[in-house]
Amino acid sequence: MAKKPIVEIDCRAVWRQVSNYIDGDLAEDVRAAMALHFKNCAHCSAILDGTRNVVKLVGDGKAFDIPSGARSRLYGKLDEHLGRTRSKKRVH
Amino acid sequence: MATMRLQPDMEAVLIDRVRRGEHDAFYDLVRPHERGIFMAAFSILNNEADAEEVAQEAILKAFKAIGKFRGEAKFSTWIIQITMNEARMKLRKDRRHLYESLDESRKGEDDGDYIPKDFADWREIPSEALDSARLRSALQKGLASLPPKYRQVIVLRDVENLSIAETAEMMGITEATVKTRLLRARLMMRDALAPGYDGAWRKGREYEKVRPF
Repeated sequence: MAKKPIVEIDCRAVWRQVSNYIDGDLAEDVRAAMALHFKNCAHCSAILDGTRNVVKLVGDGKAFDIPSGARSRLYGKLDEHLGRTRSKKRVH
Repeated sequence: MATMRLQPDMEAVLIDRVRRGEHDAFYDLVRPHERGIFMAAFSILNNEADAEEVAQEAILKAFKAIGKFRGEAKFSTWIIQITMNEARMKLRKDRRHLYESLDESRKGEDDGDYIPKDFADWREIPSEALDSARLRSALQKGLASLPPKYRQVIVLRDVENLSIAETAEMMGITEATVKTRLLRARLMMRDALAPGYDGAWRKGREYEKVRPF
């Protein structure tokens, strides 16, 4: 069976789909067209790498955290409601 | 500090214990979701003090409403939804949304293409680079610089790893809109971080801020 030709896709169309491409959320023909475009377009390839990097960094558990003061006060209203003077700290 | 998530059956056991009056169990139930609760509040309020206040309130509300929690939803989704509702109520109460809506109309429309501002060639930044306070600070500033609807979607989807469907439900928008906003949010974050990307993040050098956030 003859292979389906890959349709060319322009840079703007690539930028519109780069997030879905990273998430693997594209129809196969669009994914293949984008993969081919990335091979031939340094700018779009740079955008893909950078965006992938952002997703990885933002999703890393170390990137964002509760400020330590806020973490220790998080149960303040619950403690007050339950008539506790201080949240019990559990060691895990 | 990453905390291990509880297995669903363990969560069910804790919920049952809370309902039977074992209050300590509620703290154990919430602990793995502390960051998610805070970040969900922050994504709407963009202010640490306000996010802390709302997080406290959401935890209390969740405790009071635990009897109404149905096992169909995940506990994390449920408590984050409570948090986001509290955050929105605080915004309305503070009437801040009146000012934010002006910003919303000026920037960050969903229609039209977002044109990336920078074509710098990125190389992968290893996780160890996040030990750098400067990189973490740049990420936090980048997140804070996003228009609210993009900040919310990237927090729910990429920071908290909710699915597209869960994110859509939390924000009261369609899945297609989640994807459009997520695209913009990710590209904007990339542009916000690009000034540091001359290799400085990897090599631990000072970087010069080329563009404002």
